[in-house]
Amino acid sequence: MSAEPDGIEPPHPPSSSRTHLVRRWQAAAAVVVVAAAVTATVLAAGSGGGSPRTDAKATAPADGLRHTAVEVSTGTCGRGWSRPQAGTQVFDLHNTSGTASEVDLTDPRTGRIFGEVEGLAPGTTRPMTVDLGSGSYAFKCLQDDTDAVTGPTVVVAGRQPQGPAAAPVNQHDLIPPTLAYQKWVGQRIGELAAGTGTLKADIDRGDLAAARRDWLPAHLVYERMGAAYDTFGDADAAINGTVARTPGAVDDPDFAGFHRIEYGLWHGESAASLRAPAAALDSAVRTLRDGWSEARMDPAAMGLRAHEIIENAEQFELTARTDYGSGTNLATARANVDGTRAILGQLRSLLVPRDAGLAKLDAALDRTQAALDAQQHGGTWTPVDRLTHAQRQQINADFGDLLEQLAPVAAIFEVRRTA
Amino acid sequence: MTDNPHSDLHRRGFLRGAALGVGAVGAVAGGATVLAGSAATAATPSATSPAAPARRKAGFHGVHQAGIVEDVQLSTAFLSLDVTAADRRELTELLHTVTERARFLTSGGTPAALGITDSPSDSGTLGPQVPGDGLTVTAGVGASLFDGRFGLADRKPLRLTRMPAFDDDDLDEAWCHGDLSLQLSAPHADTVLHALRDIARNTRGGMQVRWRMDGFTSPPRPSGTPRNHLGFKDGTANPEVADPAVADHLVWVGAGAEPAWTAGGSYQVVRLIRMLVEFWDRVSITEQERMLGRTRDTGAPLDGSHEFDTPKFSQDPAGDVIPLDSHIRLANPRTAKTENSRLLRRGYNYDRGMDSNGNLDMGLVFVCYQQDLERQFAAVQQRLAGEPMVDYISPFGGGYFYALPGVRDRTDWLGRALLA
Repeated sequence: MSAEPDGIEPPHPPSSSRTHLVRRWQAAAAVVVVAAAVTATVLAAGSGGGSPRTDAKATAPADGLRHTAVEVSTGTCGRGWSRPQAGTQVFDLHNTSGTASEVDLTDPRTGRIFGEVEGLAPGTTRPMTVDLGSGSYAFKCLQDDTDAVTGPTVVVAGRQPQGPAAAPVNQHDLIPPTLAYQKWVGQRIGELAAGTGTLKADIDRGDLAAARRDWLPAHLVYERMGAAYDTFGDADAAINGTVARTPGAVDDPDFAGFHRIEYGLWHGESAASLRAPAAALDSAVRTLRDGWSEARMDPAAMGLRAHEIIENAEQFELTARTDYGSGTNLATARANVDGTRAILGQLRSLLVPRDAGLAKLDAALDRTQAALDAQQHGGTWTPVDRLTHAQRQQINADFGDLLEQLAPVAAIFEVRRTA
Repeated sequence: MTDNPHSDLHRRGFLRGAALGVGAVGAVAGGATVLAGSAATAATPSATSPAAPARRKAGFHGVHQAGIVEDVQLSTAFLSLDVTAADRRELTELLHTVTERARFLTSGGTPAALGITDSPSDSGTLGPQVPGDGLTVTAGVGASLFDGRFGLADRKPLRLTRMPAFDDDDLDEAWCHGDLSLQLSAPHADTVLHALRDIARNTRGGMQVRWRMDGFTSPPRPSGTPRNHLGFKDGTANPEVADPAVADHLVWVGAGAEPAWTAGGSYQVVRLIRMLVEFWDRVSITEQERMLGRTRDTGAPLDGSHEFDTPKFSQDPAGDVIPLDSHIRLANPRTAKTENSRLLRRGYNYDRGMDSNGNLDMGLVFVCYQQDLERQFAAVQQRLAGEPMVDYISPFGGGYFYALPGVRDRTDWLGRALLA
């Protein structure tokens, strides 16, 4: 329905992240041809080492922070950092080569990254602000179609605690969890097909009470697969599309899927008028199921989706934007929590060593889940607009906190070159 | 990493895990050394002095919170919040986090660099360096915080209650009360909104906004006290709280029957007062001025020539010049008996679009501070009941709060005396 001339757009998936994702995917694709990294000599703190001396005088900038000018090129990666010091500071990275470069500040022993600048254009200078404690550091310069170059190792002496850092995640790291998640989604689509088959049968025989009962479980199966919607392509709109809020938009012949049927079931439409939408939904699901073995999910999307499922739940479910009469937004939000857990489960072994806030994330998921579960009474869910003020505030608080804990997941799982 | 005396709390905790920034060198030093008590503010010029509009600047640390006796700023956001923290430990963590964010935001500095581990710690709306910019953050607690949830029932300030409905009120529950109040004020709206975003981001799990009203202060037109939406100067007769003796007498809670933890705090009343400006604009200037008791153009009392002239009510016992039911005469009769009911007004104008009937939705965020709610705000309110001006205004929201004692130094935090 996004193609409609009146500007009707389905609420999700958000187009901005799709664009974002494409960029990341291309960046990642350039990395697939991997070779051994070039390792440079160790430069002890302040020794000057073997590299030509570039005077890295700290100027007195307006930000009051220590600034160090650092060169970026394959031959001189990291040159200029000769007086290491702990604390929050700025490296002014100047690309002296003729090629755009990515620059990481790493711990060369562990590979953990303390700061990064992507796409540093030839001849330009950009700042990298980092918080450094005592330890070993080296700049790593990564240019397209060239092996990564690691500059001299610089040692910050003393016993200052180190600032935030994480080991990068590369494409290879993400392939096993992506395949496992894809397999899990395949099983869910089978479950979904059973659900839409039941719903279609209810409507075909004119049993709308049964259809109202069977609609929600089927819909929730779909709502647990949030990280796969991009891969579903146009099928997502056919299965779970919504329409604009303009008057009469629900009569749009392109309005299809679960919400179209929901609208009819909760607005007194006849079984006859719902037969075609139910058949179309079931057919779309079966087509998706039959083609899923050919589908290839994008590993670069995994971390983003782990975050964005709940962003969408907050934006579209907690506001009841996607309610077409059943009043089950909180059930959907609860299924979205399951969906987030499903993808986090696949990413967990990569996340444990990288996300210092993982325990808080787990606690936030539990808390959010409990707040939602409290709104289910014998299979009936409280509609969003019937929550008491205190319940509403608690759910808003829990979702807000959960989202803050999920933001690092997307940042950590941005696919990075490591060599 | 920046030093953080409460890092253990955060590791256990449920909030975002405030990523502390790096204070600008000067700002940190200033914050550590300025222990602003009544004495520290005594030397600065008065807010109400006609000749001296100079702004008092407050450091974050002090015996009292900033944003109370200091002059009103150009921009403000007043928030009432519901605490969603589950228990006393989480409430403690929440107030630690609010303190840490407020300390950083008011002092300024470089936001924490989080590398690839998270999205940026700062929204960037004030640029790469947070300037401080005279921001004040003033926090209060409402009566509902002392219910059973946090085990604080026996610590409630003596006079703190749920704000009652007064005779001329038309209260909307959605715009009333709250567990906490938070007022953010600065010379620029972007500074206020940046602080609001930062504090909200770091405290989402622990508190949620119950209602919010943004306000502004108009420039002097053409001089003296800023005007409200009725066109009259508002706040001319504020007590001279630059004098610590006056502040200790009228604003600050000290010794006495109050719980010991309250020392250095103040009762905060906020009233959201809609002004029916279209109706008001259809009233003759004579009637307007007789309702207020002041001349609109100059702000002078009707028996005077200049804004800061003192009205001589005793020479006008029948109210021939300044009517007996005029606002200034009821609010502050200037008698020995009513002297200790004076309160410190720190109101702001608000403007929030249109009403369903096509009228402008604007009014006053009336904020005042006092030592004793009953002796001061409630007594004034009772005197004002039924004043002629009530036809043109409609108080629809607000609440009673207790502005917490100040944060004394880098190891102190908002609510320590209450919760420790």
